[in-house]
This record gives sequence, C-alpha cells and structure tokens, in this order.
Amino acid sequence: MTLAASEFGALGVAMLIPLLPLSGAGLVGLLGPRARRSASHWPVILGVGGAMLCSLVLLGAVQGIAADDPAQFANSYKICSWITHSWIAPANRLSFDINFRIDPLTAIMLTMVCTVSLLTLLCSRDDMRGHLRRGGRRRPERGYERFFALMSLFVFSMCTLVLAGNFLLLYLGFEAVGLCSYLLIGFHYQRPAAAAAAKKAFLVNRIGDFGFALGILFIYLWLSPHVQTNEDPLDYQVAFRYITADALSQRQCTIIALLLLCGAVGKSAQLPLQVWLPDAAEAPPPVSALIHSVTTAAAGIYMVVRCGPIFAASPTAMAVVASIGAITALFAATIALAQYDIRRILAYSTISQLGYMFLGVGVFAADSAIFHLFTHAFFKPLLLLAAGSMTSAMGGITDVRQFGGLRRVLPVTSATFVIGALALAGFPLLSGFFSEGEIVRAGFAAHPILGLIGLATGALTAFYAFRMVFLALGGRERIPQGIQRHQAGKWMAASLVLLAAGAIGAGYVGVTFEDGGLAGFIKPHGPFHEFLEPVVVPLAGTAVPPQRGADQSVVPQLGGYGDYTLTCVSGALSMIGIALAYLLYARRRGWGEAVRNAAPQVCRLLHDGYCIDEVNDTLVVRPLRRTAALLHGMDRFIVDGVVRTVSMVPRAIGLALRKLQTGSLQGYGVTMAGGLVLIVLIVWLAG
Amino acid sequence: MSLINAYLLVGAILFAVGMVGFLSRRNLIMMFLSTEIMLQGVILNLVGFGLKHGQLAGQAFAMFLVVTAAVEAGLALGLVLLLFRRQKTLDVEAWQTLHG
Repeated sequence: MTLAASEFGALGVAMLIPLLPLSGAGLVGLLGPRARRSASHWPVILGVGGAMLCSLVLLGAVQGIAADDPAQFANSYKICSWITHSWIAPANRLSFDINFRIDPLTAIMLTMVCTVSLLTLLCSRDDMRGHLRRGGRRRPERGYERFFALMSLFVFSMCTLVLAGNFLLLYLGFEAVGLCSYLLIGFHYQRPAAAAAAKKAFLVNRIGDFGFALGILFIYLWLSPHVQTNEDPLDYQVAFRYITADALSQRQCTIIALLLLCGAVGKSAQLPLQVWLPDAAEAPPPVSALIHSVTTAAAGIYMVVRCGPIFAASPTAMAVVASIGAITALFAATIALAQYDIRRILAYSTISQLGYMFLGVGVFAADSAIFHLFTHAFFKPLLLLAAGSMTSAMGGITDVRQFGGLRRVLPVTSATFVIGALALAGFPLLSGFFSEGEIVRAGFAAHPILGLIGLATGALTAFYAFRMVFLALGGRERIPQGIQRHQAGKWMAASLVLLAAGAIGAGYVGVTFEDGGLAGFIKPHGPFHEFLEPVVVPLAGTAVPPQRGADQSVVPQLGGYGDYTLTCVSGALSMIGIALAYLLYARRRGWGEAVRNAAPQVCRLLHDGYCIDEVNDTLVVRPLRRTAALLHGMDRFIVDGVVRTVSMVPRAIGLALRKLQTGSLQGYGVTMAGGLVLIVLIVWLAG
Repeated sequence: MSLINAYLLVGAILFAVGMVGFLSRRNLIMMFLSTEIMLQGVILNLVGFGLKHGQLAGQAFAMFLVVTAAVEAGLALGLVLLLFRRQKTLDVEAWQTLHG
C-alpha cells in the first residue's frame, strides 16, 4: 500500500465519521415522529456505531503512517472550498476551505468520542423509556425521537470540532456543540429549572465563545501580513508554522492564547465560567454523561491541546492555564464535599477533574491531560448513568441523604457505581490512579504549589466520591412508597458493565509493563503517550517551561519516572480519603452530621458553591439588567420620540391642506383651468 | 393662414368649448361629454403637429388616443351609472359631501 493510497483511505474514513451520525440525526429528526417512533434509537446507534468502527480504522491508519513519517501529521486534508471570493475573502486573497487534520490526537479523540457516545446511547435506550407499567412494556418517553436526533447531532458536532483543520471550522464545531448542549440540557423544557439551566449554559458558553472568536480574528489579523498569498492564516498548519517561527511577538501570542483560553474556559467549565455545569444536571442522565466526558467539557481541553503551539509560545498564557486549572480543581472539589444532590456532586467533580486536565496542559504535560481526559471519559459517564438509574429507582429523588441501601435493590448499578467511584478517587491500579498521578507529577515538576494542590484535590476527590457512595448505597433500604422496584434494563446494564471495564482497564494503555516499576511491573508513560508523542512533544520543546522554584534540584527527583514516592503518596491519600468517608458516613452515620454542625457557616458556603451564583448575579446580571432597562428607556423616549416628531410634520401639513378639498367638482375644474392659464402665461412671457 | 394653424385653431376652440362646458354644466353626463370634447381638441393638436413635422407618428398616436378615449368613455359612463344609482340624481352638487 502506497502512502497516497493510505492517505486517501484515511481521508474517506475520516469523512464518514461525522457524516454517519449526521445522517442518523437527519433520518430520525425528519422521519422520527411519523414512522416507528419507538425504534428511533436504531438509526442513531447504527450511525454512531459505524462512526466508532471508522474511528478505530482511522486509529490504525494513523498508527501505520506514524511509523513511516511523523512529519506526515502536519498535513491538513482539504475536503472542499467553503467561503470563496466573497467580501470576507476578497478575490486577491485565498478562500477558506473545509479541511480535516488527521493526526494521533484527532484519532484518539475520535475513538474516545465515538466509543463513549455509543455506550451512552445504548444506555439511553432504556433510560429514555418510562417506568414499567403494570403488565405493560416500557414505553418511550415524550420526545424520544427528538432526544436521539439531538444526541446524534451532538456527536456529529464534536467529531467536526475534533477533525477541523482550521480555526474557522473549529469555531463552527464549538458553536454547534454549544447549541446541542443547549437543546439537550433543555430537553425537558416544560420544567422551568431545565429551561433556565439550558439558557444559562448557552449564555455562559457565549461569553467564552466571544473571546474565542476574538482570538481567531486576531490570528487572522496578525498573521495575514506574514503569510504568502495562497496560504490561509487560519489553517492550523500555516498558523502554527508561523507562530513557531516567531512571526508574532510574545505579547501578541499571549493575547491570542488568553482569548482562545476564554472559549476553553467556557466550554470546559473552569473558573470563572464554571457556573453552567452544576445547573446542567437538569439534563437527562445520558446527556450529562456526554456533556461531562467527551463532548462539551472535552471540547475546551481539546482546543487548548490542539492550539498547543500558540500557548507554548507564551509562558504567561501557560502559567494562566495551569493556575486556572489548579484553582478550579481545588475549588470545585471543596464544593463537592458539601453537596447533597447526587447530580451536583458529580458535576462539581467533573469541574474539578477538568481543572486537573487544565493543570496538566499548563505544565507542558498535554499528553497526561489527554490521558486523564481519556480515563475520565470512562468513569464519569459510568457514574452519571448509574446515578441516573438510582435516581429513577428512587422515583426522581436526587438528594443522597434520602438514598439508602440501594446496593440490594440495584446490584449491577451499585457495583459499577463503586468501580466508577474508585476510579475517580484514584484508587491504586484503577484508571484514574495512573492519569491523576501523572498530572500531579507534572505539577510538581513545574512548581511545588501546583503539585500540592493536585495531591490535596486527589484526597478530597476520594473523600467526596465515597461520601456519595456510602450515603447512596449503604445503610438501610429506603425506597419511597409507591415506587415499583425495578432493575436497570438489559441495554443499560450492558453499557454500564462495559464502561466499568473501561474504568478499570483504560489506564493500562498509558503504562508500560516492566520489571522493577511500581508494584514490581508497572511504569508510567505507555503506548498512549508514545502514540501522542508526534503531536504533543514538539509542542513541549518549542518554548522554555515556566521557571521552576528555588528547590529545582529536589523536585525533578521527586517527579522523575524512576521514583515512586509520589505515586505511593497519592495512592495512600486516596485510600485515606476513602477511609475517612467510611468513618464519617458509613460506620457512624451521625458523625458526618456532627462535622457539619461543627461549622455550619462553612458548610453553608460550600453548599452554595462559594455563592458564586449570587456574586455573579450582583456583579454581572443585575448591572446588565439595569443597563438594559436604561437603554430600553432611551430607545423608547429619545429614539422613538425623534421618529414620532418627524412623523408629525406630514400629518400637520395634511391637516392644513385638507381644507382645500371642498368636494365641489367644478371648483377643482376652475383650479385646473386657472393652473392651465398660468402655465400658458408663463410660457408666453418666457418665449 | 397655413393649414397647420387651422388645425391648431380648431383644436383650441374644441378645448375651450369643452372647458366652458365642464365648468358650467351640472349634469354629470354633460360634464363627462365636455371632457371628451377637450380630449378631441388635444388629439387634433397632435395631428396638426404631425403634419407640421411631416411625420406619421402624430397621427398614429392620435389613433391610439381615439381608441383609449372610447374605452375610457365606457368606463366613465359605467361609473356615472353607479353614481346615479346611489343618489337617484345626476346633479354633481349631490356629491359635495366628499370634502376633506
């Protein structure tokens, strides 16, 4: 097989990946309500399944190319022209293309997106059906076909975003993902809370995307003078080449990177734009599972990693990324400690884990960040879907304090939930342990404070994850009256088990088995990282990492691959967290209450998420509303006043002139004759 | 006095007669007939000027106008009929209520 043929094949397969879900969405969206509504899941599952197979093929193809020529990855494959010879792209300049960039990062992201989406969709086949009626079959919920069409569109948007080969297409994908999250969070739009949550998610994302759009415009503006006439400054390949070659000043790179970061912060729910994700818990569980793992939240991380060369060119921007990540990780983990709504605990946990990933990207460990994204994409959907199943078993109650003894009612769900929580907590030898450990190590290598925050967050994560587990599953069995006991459906159970297998095993693609490593045979930095190396490592080499602390000589030893102290410490902290949660919430249920009563103000503050919503309301929402009211008044009295005054003039003239309209026909005749005489006189005198 | 002046004089007389008729009569049909006479005066002017310039355009235009006048006469008489039905009189004074 020649290289050209393999390239062509890879491109064809890559084109199928977004197209299959799109056609699924189109089919269900157009035909769904009319034909076979209860089978709406089939076209979508088949479409996404096909996309998953294609992504696996692409993964293989990319691996094949990788061996031959790593430089091959710099290629973007043009699909077709997009905007040509319009006012945006004048004829003397180039046109904008739809092109795909296919490299290891793309391949891994696509595989992850399609696999997890497929499992989630399998799960939603059961999840989106009403409860078992007496003697009847489980009926599809209202909007069943809408749900599947939108989910498919969601997958399509994310695949487009990942495959995009230029910033314009990336922006399109970003917006499409935002739109789909809006539509899906507001799926139960009859519920005011869901409608409000959808609006909030959309608006907060818009704020981020505004910055992102500005960043893209600056790239265009500042790179245009440097590029040649037939090059598109918005193409990744071109933009990154010129930026790596120092076409832009440090300051320009920092501005662009920070603006791009705005978009990532909005999508990935980092401080200060994290407010939408906890509210998005109103969405149906499968939607949350996608938003939290492989679509909306992953989009921000992916974008920062993809734009790595721009960020790497600016140490300031990298430091900002790392600090935002670290602060968000710790901040969200502390909030999760005091939440009672199981969905909100998981939402804050997602924010915290995304903070981890930002921390990883910010300390030049983008491969570890993507690795964490990868492991997180298994255990977080697992936790969310299992939580959804528990909630529906409890008849819609989401408060963990009212849960209890669910391990006997829902054995499969509970077992997989515990596995997910263990992975989240970073329990040794589960997937989360490896990826979190790597980020903590990278954090220590950059700055001890970042590493310590990582460790502290790890311990807190273990604690709140198991606080949730013990409250929900332990204790006496408590099911509300009138709710029929029901197991998870077969489809749901199957996907939960598969996700749990992923949560256990996904970490092992990122480690090497070798004698003398941790536990005798495991070493970090495995095939996953090697695969990503062509994309991520040149990025790390382009700029100097941020200045390390004074204890430079100590830190690298602690963070080196040969030393496992740090790994052992993080594993031990995770187990301590779990043990503490056991002590407070399982062994003596009262002790947890006692801790809460000891510091009620702190708990209150944490429960309200540091009152960020209230602060936003006071600082942003209310002033904006007041400005809007003022502007409305100005529009009404000043602008409308001017318009009304102008419109008075013709009316006044009419009022005066209507007296001439006497109604006598001959009167008009006389006037006309007089006019005629006048004209004749003028012509005569003038002639 | 050349031939053209004769055309123009007859046209002017027709126009003046029509105008006087329009201003002095009260009957709607008579007023309408007066406007027709004014129109004929104008058409005669066209023919006269066509003769002066030695072109057929004036006459061709006059033919068109005659046809148009016939059509317009049909329309106007229909309108007059409707007005008569409404007020049971042809007196133009009856429509003086249509003032501004």
